[in-house]
Formats: sequence, structure tokens, C-alpha cells
Amino acid sequence: MKRTLFFVALVLAATVASTGHTKQAEPKEINLFAWSEYVPQGVIDGFTAETGIHVNYETFASNEEMLAKLVSGAQKYDLLQPSEYTVEALIKEGRLYPVDWSKVPNFKNIGKEFKNLPHDPEQKYSVPWMAGSVGIVVNSEKVTDPVKGFNDVFQPKYSGRIVVLDDAREIVSWALATVGKGPNDVGPQSLEQVKPILTRWLPMVKVYDSDSPKTALLNGDVDLGVVWSGEAALLYVEDKKFQYVLPAEGAHQFLDSLVIPKDAPNPDGAMAFMNYILRPEISKLISADFPYTNPNLEARKLLSPKELANPASYPPGNPKLSGFLDIGDLAVPIDKLITDLKAKG
Amino acid sequence: MRQDLTSFDGGTALRQRPASAMAWLLMSPLFVWVLAFVVAPTLIMLVYSVCERGTLGGVVFRFTWANYAAVLDPTYLNILVRSVLFSMVTTLACLVMGYPVAFYIGRAPEARRNLLLMLVMIPFWTSFLIRTYAWVTILKSKGLLNSLLLQVGMISQPFEMLYTPGAVILGLVYTFLPFMILPIYTSVEKLDNALVEAAFDLGAGPLRAFSKVIVPMTSPGIAAGILLVFVPALGLYAVNDILGGGKVDMIGNIIENQFKGSARNWPFGAALGMTLVVAFAAALWYTGRRQNRAA
Amino acid sequence: MKRVNTMLGAWTAAMMVFLYLPIAILIGFSFNTSRLNIVWQGFTLDWYAAIWRDAVLVKSLENSLYIASVTTVISVVLGTAGAWLLYRYRFPGARLWQTLIFVPMLVPEVIMGVSLLIFFVVVHLELGFTSIIISHVTFCFPFVLVAVQARLAGLDPALEEAAMDLGATPAGAFRRVLVPYLMPSIIAGALMAFTLSLDELIVTYFTASAGTRTLPLEIFGRVKKGLDPTLNAISTVFILFTAVLVVATEFLKRRNASLVSRQQQS
Repeated sequence: MKRTLFFVALVLAATVASTGHTKQAEPKEINLFAWSEYVPQGVIDGFTAETGIHVNYETFASNEEMLAKLVSGAQKYDLLQPSEYTVEALIKEGRLYPVDWSKVPNFKNIGKEFKNLPHDPEQKYSVPWMAGSVGIVVNSEKVTDPVKGFNDVFQPKYSGRIVVLDDAREIVSWALATVGKGPNDVGPQSLEQVKPILTRWLPMVKVYDSDSPKTALLNGDVDLGVVWSGEAALLYVEDKKFQYVLPAEGAHQFLDSLVIPKDAPNPDGAMAFMNYILRPEISKLISADFPYTNPNLEARKLLSPKELANPASYPPGNPKLSGFLDIGDLAVPIDKLITDLKAKG
Repeated sequence: MRQDLTSFDGGTALRQRPASAMAWLLMSPLFVWVLAFVVAPTLIMLVYSVCERGTLGGVVFRFTWANYAAVLDPTYLNILVRSVLFSMVTTLACLVMGYPVAFYIGRAPEARRNLLLMLVMIPFWTSFLIRTYAWVTILKSKGLLNSLLLQVGMISQPFEMLYTPGAVILGLVYTFLPFMILPIYTSVEKLDNALVEAAFDLGAGPLRAFSKVIVPMTSPGIAAGILLVFVPALGLYAVNDILGGGKVDMIGNIIENQFKGSARNWPFGAALGMTLVVAFAAALWYTGRRQNRAA
Repeated sequence: MKRVNTMLGAWTAAMMVFLYLPIAILIGFSFNTSRLNIVWQGFTLDWYAAIWRDAVLVKSLENSLYIASVTTVISVVLGTAGAWLLYRYRFPGARLWQTLIFVPMLVPEVIMGVSLLIFFVVVHLELGFTSIIISHVTFCFPFVLVAVQARLAGLDPALEEAAMDLGATPAGAFRRVLVPYLMPSIIAGALMAFTLSLDELIVTYFTASAGTRTLPLEIFGRVKKGLDPTLNAISTVFILFTAVLVVATEFLKRRNASLVSRQQQS
């Protein structure tokens, strides 16, 4: 009787022990630390087949999670994949290795609107991977009035039907946009100015979800929301009734990039990887895997009309987009403001 | 024969021998483990909690009390109180729901007990996320439960269940129920069969038999179950995010956010965590001392 | 008594329904054609085929099982020995030790993960299976210890002494008298430790390396793209495999037992 469990444990242990867990010391390898599910296995395998460089792919789920492991110094990485404001913070702290562009000739494929952005003004450190935005998604079967901006979303008639990202800085940046301020204008006066707006907005929200806001929309528990463009693109693929709108007041465009830490053991391998993913036919594979905006203009030419027609990936018109910058200690009062308002709600 | 509710920790009421050299030797792995992997990391966090915020996360080693001053903000105290309340309700519900199950399994024919225990545990060998999203499927406005209630005519329009505090409690109870059942089972299992029979045959009805005889005899298991549910439930926030819609924060959300959210305020997160640990360690210590004196 | 038992049985059955309701949904959705795993669309077996193409997922399940098995064994040894020794012998500062053992249950996971990560850096322990298992044992063994202590409370001291009087050594008395007596609580503790380790996400993130991704890490990473039904399929295969294993061993043992009793009769 008692041995049943023991036996189960033993069989399980034996099954896994036989597979072996010792890591081979490869002479040629790079350590890639990137968002989960963001680097297709096919791309990694192709790179290894061509160069003989083995890729150790470790993943994270937020910029801050990545930084926590990076600053601990537990592991040495050759490539990181931070978003724009984190790239800037890493540059400011002198943590990055300048890219030798002669080793990354394919960088020419990147569109000029993705180069020399404020987070890396001299374009010394970063190779854009994918861009996306934060915008409004509307279930057009339930919401028939036109929704063009944040003020159209946060109306009493939609109270209890709204999902938003569970991210203090994002939420504050939307309110800032409605008073004509950029997302990086987060001084005490700006916060004071948006406080009444947020006090009005937050009680209308039904769900806060950064990981999978699409769930509440697909279930029909909410009818509109402010979400990542990637979520909106997936919703659009599932059902065309989910429409993506970039807010008229201005929206956050995030740009994830590849960078090399200063203490990387194999910067040459890292640059070889950068050059490899910038090839149009490789970059296209990344687009196929995840419907973000591809900054590689040569790769975009290879995309199908259907992919290019997804408004969440390639929004039409000329939307007002801006990136986040590192705001240092000002992040603390933003966090406190949203916590206070949520606690009252 | 009376057992105090807190006698789970050591049962010091019984005759103990002074630790022999052999006892020290056998105990040393655990002591070393606790010193290395519990005390040392906790001290690291204690130091961090009185430092200043580092730019990329981490800390700058400059002494400050500011993080503890920030903990005393009414917003965080309210959140802490609410988390404790949620945890208490969860614990109570687990006890009421789990005790009869533990009793049944403990009194089942010996050949069937482990099978039943496995049955209680196997659902939790699936992924927490997928399990919890399955609850979303059940509770959502067009979900299984609403369809069922509509069909039998108990309600006339969908009942809002998902994204409410009730859904959070349900998710917490679901997650922790086995951690109440298993320890109580270990107490029930050793009850003398004749004694149980006698309690039911002589007593004035089953309720009296339970409250006067059975429950006191299984109190160590009850105490252990309360401990194993209440304490971990306090820090769990993922259920709150998925089933509660993240509308009200739990103390676990706030702490997690200081490390993994854009505030990147490790020292404050550490101060919150240390406050939690010290408050509850003190409570455990105190109940332990009271029990010692009573004994 | 009989009526009470029937009522308890009915209640237990109802609780089993409660425990298995989401699992039924999980299994049902493993046959759903929709990729997003949220709305039912139609029946397919494709996701089961997809498991075999998803080497990363299978590898992460193997890693999780390996970590959970080793964690359980170490937790049971530490927890059982600790509970017994603290019960039997008077150690200076016993109450302090007892409180310290509870600390890992109190500490929020993210703090435990970060502080252990920093600790491992300080002592130059490379992240990998060892660091994950150390972290998991640290929060799992208190569960075993608490379960065993609950069983020890109210133990008749005469039990052990009687065994010793019969000439058994202390070790022999422990093995032949106490371990059988404690076995239900050891099994309960082992089950809790295994379950907690198998499903832990946050502490694991901070203490894992590229080569030691576990199933919860892998699954959480996939939330953004949508938890596709492959994940339901792999969960289904795993729990069905376990259930079959449990029932089969039970069956074999019963058959053995009846063979033995028949031999004894003849």
C-alpha cells in the first residue's frame, strides 16, 4: 500500500534520470536572454546549422525580471532583448557593448523611422527586433459608436465593460495623452494634473490584465479595452469583429531590440546572430511567428498581403507614436498613485 | 488527553530527552540547511530593506528607514488587512469543506486510503495557469455555470461571478483544499476504531460526537492544516489577478510589483516582505509560548 | 455510524466533483480546434500530435519531474527526521528553529527567489538543477515537517519505549515502529512537496538557467501568444499516465496479496 506512491516516484525519477542532464561545454556558444516565445526555434536552429554556434535561449516575461537576473551577475549573457526604455537605462549605466556595424552589414534593412530613436540616439548599441503599440481594441458587435481615443473608451456607458493593461506607467501615460502631454512627462505636476482623470477612469475598469487581456474580450466579459497590439492582432485573427484603433491623442510605441552586455563572453557570436536575424528571409520567419510590426523593410516585402492587412500589426494612416524613456525614481510615485486609486475603487 | 490547537509545533508537552551527540549529528543537516538557505537569504533581504533603490533594480547601499516609513502608509495597511481577511475566509472554507473528506478518507478501508489521497492530489499535477483559466471558463458570464443555472431556471439572466471577490475566494479555496485535507487525514487515520464507534453509539447524535470527541482528538491535524493554508494563501496573488481581474491588490501583488513591475523598487518590496514575515513569525512564536505555558 | 458514513461519502464525492470540474474542462479543451483555448469550436486530436513535435515542451516536463522527484526525496528525509528529533529531544533554542523553519512558507515567492539568487551568486553556485532543487526543498520540507509533527502530537511514548525494551536499537525502533506509524503523514507530506515543486513558477525563474527550464516557466511564457491546447494535451497525458500507474500498482499488489493469502491457506 505505502509502496504505491514510492513506486510512482521511482518510475518518474527513473524516466527522467535516464535522459541525462549534464551540459556539454561547447567551445562556440552564445547565451541569449530574450522574451519567451519571441525567438522562433527555427531561427535558432538555422543559425546554429549555418555557423556552428550553439544558442542557449533563456527567457523572461518582463524587462524588470530580466534586469533582476542581469544585475545579480549570476550569469553572463551575450545578447539581451530589452524594450526601448530599458535599452536607455542600460546605456546610461554603461552596461552595453557598442556594436561594430561592419560586422552587422544587414542593419541597412532597418527602416529609418526605427533608427536613431531617443533611447539610442547615436544608434551605437541596439538592433531593432520588433515594434508594437498600445492601443484600443473594440468589439464592434457590442460597441457601435465610433471610438477614436482614450476619452471615447472611458465613458460612463462603458463602465464595467473595459479591460486595461495592469501596468501603472502605461495607464498614467494614457491620461497624460488626453491632456496633450507625452508619456515621459511624468513630473509631480503632471501626476497632479492626471489624478482627477484617473480617479474618474479607474472605477470603470472591470479587468486589469497585462498577461492575456484577450481572454476577457474573447469571453465577452468586456467589450473594449486598451491592450498590446500583439493581443489585438491575435484577437483579429480569431474574429474580425475585434478592431484595433490607435488613440488619436497619441500612443506608446514600444520597440524591442537586441543589445550586447559589456561583459559578454562572445560579442562576435552575438553580432553574427544580429546580422543573421536581419536577413529578410529570416526576419520574415519572426514576423510569421508573432504579429508585431517588423522594422525590417526588406522583410516586409516578403510578407503576405493578409499579414500586412492586419491593422494591429501595420496600423494605417500616420498615428502619433512615441517611445518610453527611462524615468528613474519617478516610477515610484506613479506606482503609488495607481495603487492608491485602485485601493479606493 | 486534551490537545491544544497549537500543539502541532513540536508537541513539547511530552517527555523530551536532552539532545545527545547523536541527535545533534542527525539534526545538523536540517540546521545547516536552515542557516544557509533560510537565514542567510532572509538577512540579505533585511539589509536590502534599509537601503536605497538602485537604478536597474537592486539596491544602493546607503542606509535609510524610508522604506519602512512607506510601509506604514494607510493604503498598504488596508491592503494587508484585506489580504489577511481573504486568507482567513479561505482557511475557514477549506476547513469546513475539507474536514469531512479527510475524515472519510482516514476511516476508509486501509487498502483504499492512499488511492483516495492520490485522487485528491492528482488535479494539482496540472498547470496552475491552465487550471485557473478553466475556472474562468466555468465562471464567465456565458460560462458553464451560468448556462446551467439559466437552463434549470434558477436565474433569468447571467449572474456576474467572474472578476468578483467571491471568485477569488473560490480560486483560493480550490488551490488550498488539499493542503487542509492531507494533514487532517494524518490525524484522523490514527484514531482508534473502537473509540470512534463508541463516540457515535453513546453520544447524543453525530454532531455532538464530532464536536466533543473527534475534533479535539484530531486538533493537531486541524492546526497543521490551518497553518499550511493560511500562511501560503496570504502571499498568493496570481488567483487574484486571473479570477479577480486584478481590481483590488493583495499584499502579494504589491510586493511582486516592486521587483517585477516598472517601479523596480527592491528595497520597498523587501521592507514589505520583512514586515509580513516578522509579524507572522511573532504570531507563531507567541502562540507557541502560550501553549508551552498551558502545558 | 453507518448513516454518518454515507453522508461523509456523499460529501467526499461532492468535493471530488469540485476538484475535478476544472480538470474535466482542461481535458475537454485539449480536443478543441480553437488555438486560443477560450471558446469551444470543434473536435480534433491535433494537439496530441503536436506534443511530439514540441521537443522544448517535453524537455521542460522532464526537467520538472526530475526536480520534483529529487525535491520530494530530500524534503521527506529532512522533514521527517527534523520533526522526530525536535519532538524527541530538547535542543537549545528549539522554538527559534521551529519558527525559522516556517519562514519559507511566510516569505512571498518573489522575495524568496531574488534573495536565493543573490545568495547563490555570493557563494558562487552556478544556476542549474542544483540551485532549483535547493530552493524547492527550502519551501517544500516545512510542509512535510508540519504533517509529521501533526501525527507525532499525542503519540503514546510507550510505543517507542516498548520497542526499545524488546531489545531494538534506537535506529531499529525508529525504523520498525515509528516509520510505519508515521507513514500516512510521510505520504501526505511527500504528496504536498511533489505537488508544490511541480507547479512552482516564480522561485524557479530566479534560480533556473537556460538549460533547466521547467514546465511552469514554459507555460507561463506562452500566455502572451495564447495558451494553446498542446498544454492541455500534455497535462492530460501526464495525469492519465499517473492515474493508470497508480491503479495498476494497486491492482498488482492486491493480486499478490491474495496469492500470498491463498498460499498460506493451502
